[in-house]
Parts: sequence; C-alpha cells; structure tokens
Amino acid sequence: MGARRGLGQAALVAALLGYPFLDRALGVQTVHAVSDGMIYVLLALGLNIVVGYAGLLDLGYAAFFAIGAYAMGLLNSPVLGSPLYGHVWSFWLCIWIAAAVSALLGTVIGAPTLRVRGDYLAIITLGFGEIIPVAIRNLGDVTIDIAGWRPIERLNLTGGENGVNPVGRPYLPGVPFETDPISWYFLILIVGALSLWAMSRLQDSRLGRAWMAIREDETAADCTGVNPISTKLLAFALGASFSGFAGSIYAAKLQAITPGAFEFQVSIMLLCMVVLGGAGSLKGVILGGMLITLFDRVVLAEATFFTRWVGRGLGVPLLASADLTLWRWFFFGLGLVLVMLLRPQGLVGRRVQPLVVAETDDAIDLAPPPPPRIEAIPGWLRERAGHGAAAGAMPILEVRGLTKRFGGVVALNEIDLVVPRGGIIGLIGPNGAGKTTFFNVVTGLVRADGGAIAFEGRPLAGLRPNAIVARGIARTFQSIRLFANMTVLENVLVGEHCRLRATVPGAVLRPPAVVAEEARARKRGREVLAFAGLAGKEDDLARNLSYGDQRRLEIARALATEPRLLLLDEPSAGMNPRETETLTELIGLVRRELALSVLLIEHDMQVVMTISDRITVLDYGTRIAEGTPTEIQRHPRVIEAYLGTGYEPDPVAPGGAR
Amino acid sequence: MLALEDVHTYYGNIRALRGISLTVQPREIVTLIGANGAGKTTTLRTILGAVRPRRGAVTFNGQRLDGLPTDRIVRLGIAQSPEGRRIFPRMTVLENLEMGAFARADRDAIAPDLERVFTLFPRLRERAAQKGGTLSGGEQQMLAIARALMARPSLLLLDEPSMGLSPILVDAIFKIVEDINRRGTTILLVEQNARMALRVAHRGYVIQTGRIVLQDVAAELLRSDLVRKTYLGEK
Repeated sequence: MGARRGLGQAALVAALLGYPFLDRALGVQTVHAVSDGMIYVLLALGLNIVVGYAGLLDLGYAAFFAIGAYAMGLLNSPVLGSPLYGHVWSFWLCIWIAAAVSALLGTVIGAPTLRVRGDYLAIITLGFGEIIPVAIRNLGDVTIDIAGWRPIERLNLTGGENGVNPVGRPYLPGVPFETDPISWYFLILIVGALSLWAMSRLQDSRLGRAWMAIREDETAADCTGVNPISTKLLAFALGASFSGFAGSIYAAKLQAITPGAFEFQVSIMLLCMVVLGGAGSLKGVILGGMLITLFDRVVLAEATFFTRWVGRGLGVPLLASADLTLWRWFFFGLGLVLVMLLRPQGLVGRRVQPLVVAETDDAIDLAPPPPPRIEAIPGWLRERAGHGAAAGAMPILEVRGLTKRFGGVVALNEIDLVVPRGGIIGLIGPNGAGKTTFFNVVTGLVRADGGAIAFEGRPLAGLRPNAIVARGIARTFQSIRLFANMTVLENVLVGEHCRLRATVPGAVLRPPAVVAEEARARKRGREVLAFAGLAGKEDDLARNLSYGDQRRLEIARALATEPRLLLLDEPSAGMNPRETETLTELIGLVRRELALSVLLIEHDMQVVMTISDRITVLDYGTRIAEGTPTEIQRHPRVIEAYLGTGYEPDPVAPGGAR
Repeated sequence: MLALEDVHTYYGNIRALRGISLTVQPREIVTLIGANGAGKTTTLRTILGAVRPRRGAVTFNGQRLDGLPTDRIVRLGIAQSPEGRRIFPRMTVLENLEMGAFARADRDAIAPDLERVFTLFPRLRERAAQKGGTLSGGEQQMLAIARALMARPSLLLLDEPSMGLSPILVDAIFKIVEDINRRGTTILLVEQNARMALRVAHRGYVIQTGRIVLQDVAAELLRSDLVRKTYLGEK
C-alpha cells in the first residue's frame, strides 16, 4: 500500500514536471490555460480556509484577489510611478507585500463580520466584494481640494477603468519570464505546492482544529476554550493572504489588470470551485478549480471549434456560427446543480457521509459501558489536580446575588451559591427555573445584570467564555453539543486547545517543540478517552457515536481542558440505568481522585441524592431551598414545586459513588 | 390500527432495523423500550416516512404508509412529538401550537383544543407569547408534546417524552399520556424510562439492535428478568 502510494506520487510529480514539455512537443498550447488554472486553484484554496474550514460563507472573496493584483500593480508598474519599479528583485518583494496587505485588509474586513454568521455574513462580504472594484475604478484620478489647497492632485492610484498595463515581470537570472510560458508554469507550480504544503499542515494543527470547531458549533467551541474572534480573524487573514499571492502573480503574468477581472462572478466562480470539489478537502478544491478553469478555457473553446466544423460540414448555419463560450455560466450552473443533487458533499467531499460501521453484534449493544477505573485516570490530569490543592480552604466558586433578566422575565433573582473545593453541588428545580441560565452566566455565555461571581477568589465578570475555560471551568451541555463532523480524538484535542501554544508559523514549520506538543496532546487525548470508556473509538466521527458515548465524549472533552470546576448539565439525560450508574461512578471518581469540584444539574434523583454534598433548589429564578440531600428530600417547598408528593426517597444505593 | 411487518431500515450500509414486526390496536398505549441506538427512534421515523424501509410493510388502518411522504402520513392522523425538542424556535409558543393544527380541516375545533392543551400544560399558557427558542429545555419538551396534540391525531407517537423533565413533571407527563389515551387517542410511546412507560402502557415491546426480542402485556414485562436487569437497573 505504502509503496503503491509512493509510486503514485512519483508519477504525479513526473507528470507535473513533464507536462509543459510534452505540451510544447505536441504543439497544443495549453500551458497558459493550465497556469491560469493553477492561480485560480490557489485562490480557491485560500477561500477554502474561510468557507471549508471555518465555515464562514464569503461571497466577496475576489476582492482580495483584486487587492493582491493591484498591490503588485501599484508597486511594480511604470504607469503608476512606483518607487519599487525597475529594481530587478522587486517582483519577489512585491508578492510578499501584496500578501501582507491582503492579510491586513482581510483582518479589517473580518472584524465587523465577526458578530454575524450565515446569511448576514454572506451579505456583508457581498457588499465588500462590490465596493472594491468600484473603488478601483474611481481611484484612477484622485484630487483632494481643501479650499484651493491641493495636497494631492490628479493622483493615479489604480489606473481607473483602463487598469494597469504593463506590470513588471519577475527577474531571475537565466529564466525567460518574458517569452516562455513554461517558466510561469513552474513559478506558479512552486508557489502552489508551497501553499498547499502550508495549508495541509495548518489543517492538521491546533489552528485547523479550532477552525473546524467554530464551523461545527461556535458556542460549544467558545465553551471549550477556542476564542471565536481571533480564530475567525485568522481564517480571514490567512485566506486573504493566499489570494494576495495569487493576485500579485496573476497581475505580473497577465501584464495587465483591469477592474473587470475581479467582479462578483469571479467570487462566485471561486465558490463554485470549492463547493464542486468539496469544501474542506484540499484535493477536492484542487480538482474543482482545475475542472472549472480547464472547462472554461480549453473544453468550451475546443467544443465551439468542433461544433462549427460539424455545422459547416452539415451545412447548418446555426451550428456553424455557434459560440459555446457564451454559454459558460449555463454549463457551470448545470454542473453545480448536478453535483449538489448527486454528491452534495462535492466530488471529493470530506467526512460528510456517515462512516460505514462494521456490523455490530447483538452482544455489543447490551454490554454495559466499561466502568471507570482509578488506574485509568491520566497522570497529567492528576498533576494538574495537585496544583489546585495548594489554594486551601477558599471556595472554588462563590456566587453572590446573581441576577439575570430576559425582558420582563426574571430568570435569576439574587442567587447565592457556593461550591467548596472538591465538592459536588447539585442544582435542581422545575423545568424553566433558571438552572441552565445559571450555567450560562457562570461560563460567560450570558452577561449577568447584577451580582458577583468569583472563581478561586478572582472575579469572572466581563470574561469571554473561552477565557473562563482557560481559568479552569469546563461545562457540558443539556442537549449534546459535540463537533459532529470531527473525530472523537479531534473533539478532545479541541478541548486541549487552550493548553496548547502552537502559532501559525509553528503549525506550518513544525519545529521540534510543536511536534512534541502535538504528540503529547494526542497521547493525553487518548488517555482521557480511555478513562471515559471510549478507547478504540478515537477515529470515529462524533456524530456516529451512540447517545451514551456522545454524553461521555462531552465529559471527556470538558476534562481535556484541565478544569478545576466541572459544570454538568443533565449528564444522565437519555441514559439507561446501567449507563447512569457508570456515569455516577465516573463523577465520584474524578472528584475523589482529581479533587475536581462539580456543579451538577440533574433530574435523576437517584444520581443527585447519591453524589451531591449539598443541593440548591431553584424555582422561578429564586433559590427556594439549600441543604444536604436528606434535608432537601423532606423540604416541603421542594416537594411541592419539584419532587411531587409521589416521590419516595430511595435508600442510598450500597456501593454508590460516595 | 398500526402494523409493522418485518420492517428493515438502513442508514447507508448500517442496518438500523432488522425485521421489526409490531402492532398497535385502537385505544391502546403501546410502549417500545430499549437501549440507546437499539432502533426505537428509527422505528418512529420509519412509520412517519422520514426514512424508507428497505423491506417490509407499514400499514395504518389498512393503508400502506411506506413510500408515502411525511405530510401525507400526518394528514392520515398520525402525529409525533419528536425526540430532542424539535420545536420552531423563532415562533411564539402560541404559533408553535397553531402550527400543530396546520393540517386540520376542522378549524372551529382548534380553539377548544388550544384551551385543552393549556389546561394540560399551564406553563405554556404563561409563556404563550414567548419565542419557542427562549423556553427552557423541559418547557420545550412540553411544547413539542402539546404541538403534536394540536393535530388531534388518532395515533400519537411520543419519543422520550420524559427526557429532561423534573420528577414532578415526569409524573405529570405520564398522567397526561393516560389522560389523552382515555379520551380516545392511541399512543405509541418510546421511552428510556422503562419503569414509568410500562406502568402506563397496556402492552410493550423490547427492542435490541434493531430486533424485537420480547413482547408482552406491560405488567408481565415489568416482571421479566430481562427487563428488570437491563432496563430497570435492578441487580
């Protein structure tokens, strides 16, 4: 298998290297078209970071292409009077400047779009994509006139409607960029290969996982320690920088740029390449990009030629004068519709189909989940637990007078709650009492209207959810919120995100420190999965797990953030008695062995009464009772509002988690 | 009334149902219990036409359902309260309930029915003007059931109605299930909470990895070793 793959790769490299010479020998002259195709592939790869990885629909991506091209034109063209023009090295400098300018503008454009998602984001990028070509058209003749004083007079910044012509070519001793399309082919091939290499490494790094987590579920990612703001900005900036490269090379290759080359339809065509090939798949995007460009540049032209020849031969004037290139958008549209109907995940779609799971035997279904074992507790989690113990008797979480209103509804009314270090506190109450809202306020998803929250003595006010995770509070969700199209191991690795340090250069260049960090993260991830009873399922997609396994994975992901306080929102909901029992043991075990404090929302009284040290009861946003499980079970208001008169206290199960 | 005969349903290559046969007689409460992933929800999805069985037949009052689109099946008098509280989050509680009655022809009877579900779930009356998405998890569960009732179905499919509800509401929900049934609605109840489900049901089926392994009247199932060990958590 390995040998065959190596052979395939060698053949691919040989084909890429030999192709332009073969083309010349046969005289078919497709090198230009293929080179342009590779530029579009590079653009589509940049767009794939934004759309495919981070899941942000960008309808104005051609704007960055324009910015890259015009940055090159501005710096490296005689008609715009560039200071750089004429230096033999300037092209090689300009491509970097173009990429940097594009990245900068990507960040600027990205900033206002961060609050919005989906449709709104698409509309904003659409607007940006319209603004740039118009701005370029109007910046060809700029005069600033302040009461007769003209600091800038008739400045030609972009060449206006006429564009920029010529643009300086690259200079490399002995390489004929002026005359030989093959030199361009190899230049673009090298830039493309390097970009592809960088992207594939980014995809498989801390940052790539963060993008995908944002795409899958932004709120859950935030609550797992991924900062959505910086993560999205990075996607915009990196995506834009690749198109900056592509744009600057395009300008220099074409020798002329006009605003018309960067219109809305270019954005759409790039989006088509990504979607056609398969968003999120590098191979797919390359395939999609090449198919669309070659279809446009080669196939349609040849087909027109052929149709006319047939038309002339048969004497049909309609065919003899046909021009299929005018129908290009018709064919694109048709192709896209067919692909979406037949293969919605794209030609080489990534991980959208459910995996083909081996036939399960009946026995597996009935096997109770493996009970948690003390020996399986990962050593590194123990170490972390040791750090916390030094802090002494101060409560880990202290909430005073917490108030939250939604419109006229008081969801939380002056709530006091204290979680002692190493304690398990139950939070119960009727549905709609405000329990989950309480979690949302503590984890920073919702801002409180009053009151104070202190974690280990320090206030949490104003912190973003991801910063609160970094402080040491992790949570699970009532309705499971996993990163469904990522693997089980990747889910846990996202949990470790805030404890890892790899940056963009680190993720691409992979110095020994990053390699070691990544290896350690994976090892830790496997350990925490084994502890949660998910060994052997590391490479399954989260969405393919059974319900109980998904619940356990959520807890494993929370543990991977190395918390000192764990908020569990109805962890046993939907579990059968055996699974619930295992879960209760697991919670007891992490408390006992890792000195982890737990705040637990739960409706299964067997669980709550067995493992809680104390219980707080909410009703209509107000605390109606607080006490030990025994006290709570007898509390008349709790019985009236929550337990019901039919509730008989179960005797505490022998051998329970306590 | 409802009959499944040797139904096989696949997701891609995964065999979710491997020959399910069950019947529901008029005015019965029948419960389907089983572990996570055993095929309970898939059975309901197959009945409603959300997935097509690869083999076997689903009939309702003698009419074949398999192959019909879901909206046609709902118009025949089957309604479901889906698992996971799939309500319309951006519509108000009242609008959600009105959507439940969307397919009904007897517009005059809708108002009294609305009154009836508000009596069953007073919490929903309090929150009638609130957006569905702002309700708490348990309230959304109530809304999902109430919305299904608004269709005034002759057969009601309930998927884990007690999930995420407080003990007092779990009791209330099962009382409501019995109450609905006494008023003439036939119910197929899928539940994790086997104890409660078997207390209210007339008959029950136990499903394991896509097959029915046990069926009996509910009281007998409560006594069976398999059910007690696996689904009631008794040692």
